[in-house]
Amino acid sequence: MTGHTIDHLVATIAFIAAMFLFLGLFTQTLQGAVLYQQNRHVALKASDLLDNILLSPGYPYNWGETNTTLSCFGLQQPGTTGYTISSFALMRLTSLSGEPVEYPVGSGKWYSNVSLGPCGYLFLPLSDAINYETAAMLLGVNGTYGFQLSITPIVNVSISEYRTDPLILKVEVDGPGFPLGGANLGYYLYRTYKAGKYPNLELSTGTAQTDSAGVAYLNFPFDGAAETYCIVVHAGLGGLKGFGYYIHKAFTGSTGVIPFIVDYDEGKVYLAHDWDVQGEGGPPVPNYFYTAKFYVLTEEFEFQEWSIANSTGQINYGGGGGTFLYGETTLPVAHPGFLLVTYNDVAGGYGMSIMPWGVGSPLAASILFGGVPAGNVWVASDLRHVTVGQLSYQARILCWSLKGYQTRTPSGWR
Amino acid sequence: MLRTVEVIMVILILAGAFIAASLFAVLPSPRQISSPDLSQLGLTTLQMLDTDKDLTETVFKDPADPSWIDLEIVLSACLPPNIVHNLTVYDIVTLSDGTVSYQAANSITNSESGIGTDSEAASYLVTSTNVTFMVAPQKISGTLYILNCSDANGWWITGYTSQSLASDLYNLLSPYFQTTILVNSTYQLGLLLNGTALKGETLRDAVVINTFGEAVPIPAGYYTTQGYADGSYAKYAWILGQKVNSYNWTWVSIVGYPFYYVTNTVFFASTQNNWGIYGMRMVSEYGLGCFLRGLAGRSYSYSSQSTGSPGVVYLSSVALDRCNYYGIYPAPYQTSTRALPTSILSTYDLTPTELFYRVNNYIAGATYRHTGGGALTAIGLTRIPDIRVTVLALLMYYHPILYKSEFTLRAGERPTQRLVVLQLGQQGGS
Repeated sequence: MTGHTIDHLVATIAFIAAMFLFLGLFTQTLQGAVLYQQNRHVALKASDLLDNILLSPGYPYNWGETNTTLSCFGLQQPGTTGYTISSFALMRLTSLSGEPVEYPVGSGKWYSNVSLGPCGYLFLPLSDAINYETAAMLLGVNGTYGFQLSITPIVNVSISEYRTDPLILKVEVDGPGFPLGGANLGYYLYRTYKAGKYPNLELSTGTAQTDSAGVAYLNFPFDGAAETYCIVVHAGLGGLKGFGYYIHKAFTGSTGVIPFIVDYDEGKVYLAHDWDVQGEGGPPVPNYFYTAKFYVLTEEFEFQEWSIANSTGQINYGGGGGTFLYGETTLPVAHPGFLLVTYNDVAGGYGMSIMPWGVGSPLAASILFGGVPAGNVWVASDLRHVTVGQLSYQARILCWSLKGYQTRTPSGWR
Repeated sequence: MLRTVEVIMVILILAGAFIAASLFAVLPSPRQISSPDLSQLGLTTLQMLDTDKDLTETVFKDPADPSWIDLEIVLSACLPPNIVHNLTVYDIVTLSDGTVSYQAANSITNSESGIGTDSEAASYLVTSTNVTFMVAPQKISGTLYILNCSDANGWWITGYTSQSLASDLYNLLSPYFQTTILVNSTYQLGLLLNGTALKGETLRDAVVINTFGEAVPIPAGYYTTQGYADGSYAKYAWILGQKVNSYNWTWVSIVGYPFYYVTNTVFFASTQNNWGIYGMRMVSEYGLGCFLRGLAGRSYSYSSQSTGSPGVVYLSSVALDRCNYYGIYPAPYQTSTRALPTSILSTYDLTPTELFYRVNNYIAGATYRHTGGGALTAIGLTRIPDIRVTVLALLMYYHPILYKSEFTLRAGERPTQRLVVLQLGQQGGS
């Protein structure tokens, strides 16, 4: 009798232990399979989203060139096929790369801030920009999937001062994987000079070629440390095209003149006094005399000056009390290019600022748009090569699920 | 003991089931769950490199040509570092029995040890540039000048700025001209009138489009001095007529009454055009009258030229035919309130190329060619201007031919096609 009881007890305990053990093992396998299915679905969604965004112009088709309300989201250049992206649709996206800027300071008017290099600015009213929530809603993923889209130039042209007197500039050209050796370079150097009340620009152009390490040196017969200049370099090799710019300004007293796009539909741009943007420090602040010029890129890959209204003027600081002084000009809608502003203060210090007009413009700006993937367990990515304007870009998407099993990190399992 | 044995048997069965399930339910590697779509990446890479036909030109070159090295550098540069590639180009050969075969012509790769089995490929068909279908317009000899003066104001171009009109005209017409130049200030216009080229271009036989509507920019200095007589700047229009005649230009007025105002925002800073627009002064109907006298090579006389208002006018059948030919489609009927009378044809020795059917002896839009040289394109429609009508008028007048397919193959030569296959593989991980 005792032997039977022990037999039953051992058998029952062993059976229950085995059941729990195998239940756990089977659950683990099933859990892995469920996560695989879920993540695979997110990865497919990433590819689908990227193609949906890049292969549709959206509606209205020319929404990038107006400030109309969108009813369908897409970035393809209207009238083209394939992965050709609209410069202006990209410009209307709310940037994730820079903190929004308030102008005039304290006014409550905020501008989307596309991060550029030194002295480069691209500020667009947030009210005219397409935000992430709107895009997600129009793409049908609002509340189910999150995404982040980055459109970056493939060809990175970086320019630095190698020597100042006489000036030698070092140009480095590379892509994501390798330096671009043997690339053909063309440069446009705009140098500020005094021309009466307002400063003016003197243009020098030339060509060069990078060595096997993707490096070239450009020589100029002036003292780079004492001069204010802007150089825009384009690089091309075998179908890859890119741009880069560099500004050196002798005037270091403050930021200087800052362009703001205030009416996207009409191309209206304010040239603002930095004191009215940053509101730091106090009087006396510089009184700027400026000359603004706009350049477009022709099909022959050359810059052509495009006449703009009120290209010269004076900007004093507003002095507070709700008074803000600015210059105003208008850029041609739907013509990518860049606005170059040179200015001097009454003491004769010269400075420069530059603003792209259209993302695929000669400044080759990058765009980061969408949500922030931090805190999500599984983020899928995909990429395509695209053409923006005449330049080569890479479009990369990050996509994650907002619903489902274990989509957030342990602090926020959902 | 028997129960324990039974339980052990159950455990063995469960273990067997788990092992069997594990063997069959193999989960793929993480890379297979989410790897970049290499096929699409390859295709978009090929498309991007062929945007300006650079790829096409390279793949038809001899394998020893240096452009293959450039292509290798470009592929290495534009693809992420962990992606290896192999690009192979195949000749497409159609044999005598109709069979199509693919023969490898050249191959480049950055992977010495092969690209592995875990790779994807994209294919792209290219046709040699000498057989590419294309539409190439015949270039009109002469320069196209578009007035885009920053120091001038427009009138009757409501809803537009001169700069936006200049931009649209540039897009529509520059493919048809050897050279297109934007005249950015009245100073530059003065240089042109003085016979100085702005960029070394040919000055004679040019087309000058005035985007300022009924106002015409006037350079300060010589032209504001010499162009002023009888209390009016109508003499400036006469000088313009003379210049158009002597340089054999075609002067284009895009809307309304030509030469009705003169504009210079600096010179006329405190003068308004009788309608409250500063930077402009009225010349009225004397502008057109004096211009036509200048165009006809006659001496200056302060004389006017009236226009009429025929109302709704219709594009002629020839104009509609040109619409189809050039792919420009303005509305086939328009409203004209500043049409020129047919009497000017005999008065000033003009031959018209007309856009619209005539109404009551009025010509709503035409290019008037003077027998001694020079022409005036006058679009006498009411505001707001539709610059497609202007473009159509110019294309009707010059009638450039569209070469819709340019095959440069010799007789009996077959079109050449090549297939480009780009295989991409991902390195690292397993």
